[in-house]
Amino acid sequence: MSNEVERETGSGTSLWKVIASPTIWAVHLLVCYIAGAIYCEKTGREAGLAPAQWIVGITTLVALAGIGLVVRSIWTEYRRSVSNDDFDFEVNSAEERHRFLSHVTLMLSILAVAAILYATIPAIVLETCR
Amino acid sequence: MSDTQNTTDPMVAPLADEASRKAQEQRLAEAWTSPEGWWYFSDVNNSRVGIWYIVSAFAFLLFGGALALIMRLQLAMPDNDLVSADLYNQLFTLHGTVMMFLFAVPIFEAVAILIMPSMVGARDLPFPRLSAFGFWCFIIGGIFVCGSIFFNVAPSGGWFMYPPLSTEQMGVGADIWLLGLSFIEVASVAAAIELIVGVLKCRAPGMHINLTPLYGWYVLIVGVMILFAFPPLIAGDFLFELERLLDWPFFDASRGGDPLLWQHIFWIFGHPEVYIVFLPSIALLAMIVPTFVGHPIAGYSWIVLSAIGTGFLSFGLWVHHMFTTGLPSLSLGFFSAASEAVVIPTGIQIFVFIATLMQGRVIRTVPMLFALGAIATFIIGGLSGVMVAIVPFDFQAHDSYFVVAHLHYVLIGGVIFPLLAGVTYFYPFVTGKLLSRALGIWSFWLMFAGFNIAFMPMHLTGLMGMPRRVFTYPSNLGWNSLNLVSTIGAFILAAGLLLFIFDTLRPRRNQPEAPANPWRAGTVEWLNDRQNWGLRTIPHISSRYPLWEDADFAQNVRDGRYYLPDAEEGRRETIVTSVLDAQPIQCLRLPLPSYVTTVAAAGLGGVFIFSTFHWWWPTAISGVVAFVAIIYWVWTGTATLPEKERKDIGLGTTVPLYRSGPTAVGWWAMFITMTGDLTAFLTLVFAYFFYWTVAEQFPPPGMTGPGWLWPLIAGLVLIGSWGLTLGARIVNGRGSVWGMRALLALSAVSTLAGTAALLAGPWTTGLDPTQNSYPAIVWALVVWTAVHLAAGFVMQVYCIARSFAGLLTRRFDADIWNVTLYWHAMAFTVLVTCLVIGGFPVVA
Repeated sequence: MSNEVERETGSGTSLWKVIASPTIWAVHLLVCYIAGAIYCEKTGREAGLAPAQWIVGITTLVALAGIGLVVRSIWTEYRRSVSNDDFDFEVNSAEERHRFLSHVTLMLSILAVAAILYATIPAIVLETCR
Repeated sequence: MSDTQNTTDPMVAPLADEASRKAQEQRLAEAWTSPEGWWYFSDVNNSRVGIWYIVSAFAFLLFGGALALIMRLQLAMPDNDLVSADLYNQLFTLHGTVMMFLFAVPIFEAVAILIMPSMVGARDLPFPRLSAFGFWCFIIGGIFVCGSIFFNVAPSGGWFMYPPLSTEQMGVGADIWLLGLSFIEVASVAAAIELIVGVLKCRAPGMHINLTPLYGWYVLIVGVMILFAFPPLIAGDFLFELERLLDWPFFDASRGGDPLLWQHIFWIFGHPEVYIVFLPSIALLAMIVPTFVGHPIAGYSWIVLSAIGTGFLSFGLWVHHMFTTGLPSLSLGFFSAASEAVVIPTGIQIFVFIATLMQGRVIRTVPMLFALGAIATFIIGGLSGVMVAIVPFDFQAHDSYFVVAHLHYVLIGGVIFPLLAGVTYFYPFVTGKLLSRALGIWSFWLMFAGFNIAFMPMHLTGLMGMPRRVFTYPSNLGWNSLNLVSTIGAFILAAGLLLFIFDTLRPRRNQPEAPANPWRAGTVEWLNDRQNWGLRTIPHISSRYPLWEDADFAQNVRDGRYYLPDAEEGRRETIVTSVLDAQPIQCLRLPLPSYVTTVAAAGLGGVFIFSTFHWWWPTAISGVVAFVAIIYWVWTGTATLPEKERKDIGLGTTVPLYRSGPTAVGWWAMFITMTGDLTAFLTLVFAYFFYWTVAEQFPPPGMTGPGWLWPLIAGLVLIGSWGLTLGARIVNGRGSVWGMRALLALSAVSTLAGTAALLAGPWTTGLDPTQNSYPAIVWALVVWTAVHLAAGFVMQVYCIARSFAGLLTRRFDADIWNVTLYWHAMAFTVLVTCLVIGGFPVVA
């Protein structure tokens, strides 16, 4: 992105960072689903779910840690929005779009965390592959 | 608060005198002259192609609607015999297919092509010929698929074509579906490429990403979704057609295949598809609602993030179409959870609209009526969606009329009503005339009432047990009156729609011109003065609603006081800007009208259509026509050398006329294409491992191919070919023309050798693809890779030829950059293919 404007807070939030947390959600869902499907297919429907539950648990922790890193990396920029009490992000400047993208990143991270936690519910509630 | 002080003041050039302004307009008009007469259909300008596209999509809507009315007539009475069971099967299959593939998706592309360039302040999209090519693919494929019903050979297996029914079915119906729609998917992917690059790289200078109109955001998100949703279906069609044509048993359980694999592939496409058609329509509301409230959208960033969130989550829902297929509860639970989660971002969007409505005084207009009707209807469909997302409820409602009611509330509330709001709203943008208010109100209430009368009872018929897709029912089940009411409602709905269409088509010569910005909107597209060139000048943007916030803005644009007010060299031009901050980085020369796109589309269409009927000679000839046309198009129309290095685009800005590598739009188009291509490839890899998951023993006993040796050789040679291509780009960058030619020649030779080695693996070990799904999927991966390598070979030879023709030089090296990018994707494809087919059997 060499053509972009230099910003006060250094290297900024890019579109890639905006989609990082939802991507982590997608990978989490795929890993949980594929691991669960393969496990149940190979062990039969009567099998207990413990190994699959471990996989879901560990994947969830890794995913949440990943989202934590994403949030930490945008926190400096985001804090400025909080202190300015400005959530419109409609000023025509590189700095403003930077804060805008960090806001979108943060909220998408929260959404991703919610969706990831939702996905762990079946692993907690269910007991067998039935 | 230093950042607010950074605000750039609107930059305006001094007003030129009237004579030179007239001369500028004259030159612009000449450069943008649209062809007429015999050449009318060679046009590529977005304002004309967009209209063809919209009119065609609405024609297909009416066709699909007529099919639905025949179905409703058949179902009006019990034991009715208006149509036969087989014709009824064709009717519902074609109804679903037409509405989804020939109306809902194309209308998104059509509207976006028509209005988006003006909205982001561009003169046209970056690849006008690609838009035209997509349109021709769409119309040829669409007529082919729809025409089949007049010969009683239309597809009849349901719009999702489940095997084994559809793989075993006689006749060409399923082939028409598979090949016709694969062809139309080409159009969708072409439009996605065009629109993504358009939003990211062609916004007017100063239009930072946080000032981009919300419609642009939605188009970007939906374009990316198409890239990940459509390729799996293309890959699935590839497998399906191989089974029908050559008896490769991908979905045949008796030979190691699995019909469920198709369901996975289809719905990985099919569920995001729902959001692909819904988001662009809701995007229209995001433009319309602020205008009639006279107030900016209440939560711009919330709309953006919830649209991105919806786009993502929509890919985690596909299994909810498969709740009753006997998957483990754990799998169902994951997807039930995701289906509930998607309600969060969808709800945010609705709440933002409501919040916007509460901020100002709503002006009562026809577009607003449709917008409010859309929101109300969509909320009902969304809530019944939450119901069917719950697994135990879905067990009861699955495949019943409850689902029919749900999906129509979603699609008519989420797509049709917002779209008609959009048509009413943008009608003066296109024609300069307003639609009739009275007819608009009448048609809205007819449609809204008719829709609810038709579909609300279906919730009940469904809960009372009426299954989908039955052509008739006995009279003693209690469904009679509900069905009759639905039929009456369907005709009221149709009357409303016809009234609306009549109003758009009736001649209005005597009607006075509407004012230039009839709704007093705040966004740039309303400065388009319906000339071929679009905006008089490409403005410098400094706010989200420049027409509201800068009183002189409109006049300054009309006076040509911003960028590119002129066409000094008589060329069509637009500005390429950087992705985030929209800094001008290039003046992009746009191609002129040409029939080459039509010929290419017709040739490609011939390949798909003739192969449906196994007419191999016409297929081959069409293939050659398409190949020659595409090569001619690319050779004469892309990466053309400019007559000078840089150009002054006004306001003291000078930018290059030619760019290559990651800042060039062509490179982005290749990047996006390869993203979609790799998605299709990974679907095939997924199929391979799916067979491993479900098989008792994998590879099946007695099948030793393709061994590890040939895949290893092929992998090494082809990775070498990739390295040589990359090397050619690097040495060319250092000025060694002959070095580049030599490396390219070497790489072309190793491409051929490596492809032969790849095919030798399954060939020499005697893998028979008709025996079992294992050899079939190995062959499918090998054939897929080989076809791509053939294209890669053509590109390598093309670059050598361009170099000898003097069109590829050290400075002007876009071709070799793009080909190298293609080869990066090839390296990945080859590596994965060889590791999977050669390595995995060793590990397993």
